[in-house]
Amino acid sequence: MNTANPVAAPSKRKPRWLWWLLLALLVLGAVVGFAAWYKFFREEPQPDWVTATPEMRFKYGSIGAENEAGIPYWIFYVLPRMFPEKLPGPGGYAAFGVAWEQGQELPVGFTKKVVGFPRVANTCATCHTASYRTSVDGEPTYVVGGPGHTLHLSAFFRFLVDAAKDPRFNADNIMREINLVTELSWLDRLIYRYALIPITRKRLMEREPQFEWIYRDDFPDWGRGRDDGMNLTKYFMLELPMDDSLGATDMPSVWNLKKYDRPGTTMNFAGDSHDAYSVIIDSALGLMNAAPKSNEDFLGHVRWMQEYLSELPPPKYPFPVDAALAAAGESVFTRDCAACHASAITGTRQPLAGIDTDRARIDAWNAQHAIAANRVVTEFGIERKGLVEEDLIGYNPPFLDGLWLRAPYLHNGSVPTLRDLLRPPAERPSTFWRGYDLYDPVNVGFVTSGEDAERIGTFHDTAQLNNGNGGHVFGTTLPEQEKAALLEYLKTL
Amino acid sequence: MSGKIRSAIARLQAWFDRLFRHRWLRCTLLLLALPTLLLAGFALYGLWLFTRNVPVTYADPAEHFKYGSTRGEMASGLPYWIWQVLPQVCGQHLPDPRRGYASLGLIYEDGRDLPIGMSKRNYQGVDRTFLNCSVCHTSTWRETPGAEPTIVLGMPGNRFRVWDLQRFLFACAKDPKFSTEFVVPAIDRAMRERGERLGLLDRYAIYPVAIALMRERLLMLAGRFEPLMQYPEWGPGRVDTFNAAKVIFNFPMAALPEHEKNAPSDFPSIWLQRPREGMQLHWDGNNTSVEERNKSAAFGTGTMPSTIDVAAIARIEDWLLTLEPPPYPFPIDQAQAARGKTVYGEYCADCHGAGGRDFSGAHVGKVTPLAGIGTDRRRLDSYSRDLAVNQSTLYAGYPWRFTHFRKTDGYANMPLDGLWLRAPYLHNGSVPTLRDLLEPASGRPRSFWRGDDVYDRHKVGFVSDIDERDGVRLFLFDTSVPGNSNAGHEGADYGTDLSDEDKDALVTFLKTF
Repeated sequence: MNTANPVAAPSKRKPRWLWWLLLALLVLGAVVGFAAWYKFFREEPQPDWVTATPEMRFKYGSIGAENEAGIPYWIFYVLPRMFPEKLPGPGGYAAFGVAWEQGQELPVGFTKKVVGFPRVANTCATCHTASYRTSVDGEPTYVVGGPGHTLHLSAFFRFLVDAAKDPRFNADNIMREINLVTELSWLDRLIYRYALIPITRKRLMEREPQFEWIYRDDFPDWGRGRDDGMNLTKYFMLELPMDDSLGATDMPSVWNLKKYDRPGTTMNFAGDSHDAYSVIIDSALGLMNAAPKSNEDFLGHVRWMQEYLSELPPPKYPFPVDAALAAAGESVFTRDCAACHASAITGTRQPLAGIDTDRARIDAWNAQHAIAANRVVTEFGIERKGLVEEDLIGYNPPFLDGLWLRAPYLHNGSVPTLRDLLRPPAERPSTFWRGYDLYDPVNVGFVTSGEDAERIGTFHDTAQLNNGNGGHVFGTTLPEQEKAALLEYLKTL
Repeated sequence: MSGKIRSAIARLQAWFDRLFRHRWLRCTLLLLALPTLLLAGFALYGLWLFTRNVPVTYADPAEHFKYGSTRGEMASGLPYWIWQVLPQVCGQHLPDPRRGYASLGLIYEDGRDLPIGMSKRNYQGVDRTFLNCSVCHTSTWRETPGAEPTIVLGMPGNRFRVWDLQRFLFACAKDPKFSTEFVVPAIDRAMRERGERLGLLDRYAIYPVAIALMRERLLMLAGRFEPLMQYPEWGPGRVDTFNAAKVIFNFPMAALPEHEKNAPSDFPSIWLQRPREGMQLHWDGNNTSVEERNKSAAFGTGTMPSTIDVAAIARIEDWLLTLEPPPYPFPIDQAQAARGKTVYGEYCADCHGAGGRDFSGAHVGKVTPLAGIGTDRRRLDSYSRDLAVNQSTLYAGYPWRFTHFRKTDGYANMPLDGLWLRAPYLHNGSVPTLRDLLEPASGRPRSFWRGDDVYDRHKVGFVSDIDERDGVRLFLFDTSVPGNSNAGHEGADYGTDLSDEDKDALVTFLKTF
């Protein structure tokens, strides 16, 4: 420009090299853009075996939680090896009491799906698959739709946060572990080192303040088989400040959902949601931790799941039943129990007075919470009857299908066995260990003491917040023979 | 455009010309060029050195089995020269310092610098060595104390003391002598003795770093393994297989329930794998896939999913499909064997196969529940279901991800090929000879000596009643130690109620396997 050729000709024709440069940049941009889409966002369907049967689909099929809540597969893979001291015991992820079928790469309720890169996320089956064994040396039986009474969910949540907080959670250490177990391409190594590891760390650490209440020293832990769903909704979906409530309740069974189709029934222990469709949506949204990518796909999956669970039968009691005794028990049931548990009021909202079980769960939720949560879901563009926009008044008398597998009992799992439930509160065990899966056919429930139960289970102290075993004194004064007969009958439900 | 480039080059040339008119500049540049070239040379050499990955391999599968690499040295290799001088540096941690590595039961062939079961590879500029499959699956027998031992590939490594090898390495890593000051001069001398020279780079850079890295790694392994070593030692020929497998996952071993800990069991023979395909393999029958079982065992040789030499393993795998055990080398009383054959057919064949090569039988390769077999339960208990499901994650992302591991409730019925070389007997090696196994547990030796290779043809097994051989102390096996019980596999169904004549005849027949 400083030569003798002044601005003379901003020639109509731009220099050709500029065109070439532009073209090259465009091509480069397209390539980079495609690569970024391919490496971070392309979705690959799960392999065929996952959707081969409805049961497999429920156990291992993605509900779309990989997008926002998914953890990069290889990070998920090496975490238990790197931080075994943060697990509840030896055994990798098995230590959390997940249902893990032999030969499967991941436990039930854990999905592996490629969204750009393989990710691990969860499904409803994580919490709604029950495990029981009929003998110490026996193989566990997994019951789809049953309560995940062995699952230590709060420990799993804390594990991920605590691992991310650990200074050893860095690219050098994680890549060293990953490189021992797989051969990533150089590009994937770069992506892991400079994107996935730091982003995962950040995302997991962001959860810490929202999980503050499961770290509180003055609160009892949820323990195995329990989940504080209402507070999860408050702190994650509504992003409300922490209050002093604790509402951990047993993971419920989700088989035979069609029983809730009857008008007037409401869902969950305290009747806080209108129908099964809404509960599935809200629970799934909780797992996804974000709005669905496509409402159409999401709701299609929800409807499929509702259909599947509606027809899913409760499991049969796996030990012999004394038919004559059970028949005698049926008349006791009809006389003393059916009015609440097999009648028009079953599954409907009832006041706490008269039942008098632990009230902490109903104190953890109110009408404002319901209104706010319904608004969020509506803003996602999802229509559903949704949460009941009223304060909670008590607990719904539950349907008793598959009752034998739903131990421990009461909404907060504070009574280990059905036999204990037929004792006056003062005579029920004040402490026990929950989450061990060896069945106790004598008392109808799981074994809650002894070396193995105490090693594997978590300690439940009924004197602590939300853990009370009072109330529901119905049947506690029956003569022993009638109790025995009733117990026998309850096995058959 | 080309005209512009030409003029630019011309200008550049002119600029250089002007520049080089100064002599001082020419000299300076020349002086600078020399070190630059030197540095570039070094860099290239370093690149060549540190990207080297050259294994020692053998065309003959038997040789490769003995000395060939399956790439365990990459992730787990010990620098070859450090390995060679360790007995001089910290030999006091060996069972018998005077005998060096031979006191670990490692077998040295004439003219070999490494024992059977150790392979070599130059990786990142350092010769490295580590164990391969044959270290646990090769051993020797002798007819008489003075005779030359016969090496048998594929037989249980019943003299190899892996417990002592672990203890030696971990103790060395903690020894103050495991340092550059002691190790490097020892390497220097050892290399001179072999007519080699320790290079400057090796002396001042590579070995000091290698020593530090090796110590760090050994201390890490010690931290993981030592909770397993708080128990009476396993003795030769045994390993706590599936507690070691838990170490892969970094299970906190100290936190394991007591009944899972300390479950040493015998190394098995690995002949004739083809007819075993589909059987419940391992002592407790926890896997029905030969290839998966092999890859699982290969973790013990230091291979990782990302480093395993699948082709080398496959070569050995193929060779083992049909590898036969050697025939019994002493005369067999044919009349007695014929009588024993009848007894065998009646009592043993259903579970152990029609013969030494015919593995057909209703229960062969299947698990008999513990309540039926009644042998020591620790090995069964050590294999937890939690471990089984974790093993299903091994080789994730590869087509051969493990899918066959299952928790069982007993011990698997093994085919009996080459049985004469598989003493001591039962999964935990608690019964020294076949003849002892035919007595009820109360009549079996309560303690005996393991690790001899002199053969006892009367009882069929190795000599087990003397405490040393050629001045080398053998290992006292005490059946009262937890995990060592010699009970079970007894009663009418198991032949312990037979007449002495029938028992002798049966033992004679089993020599033909």
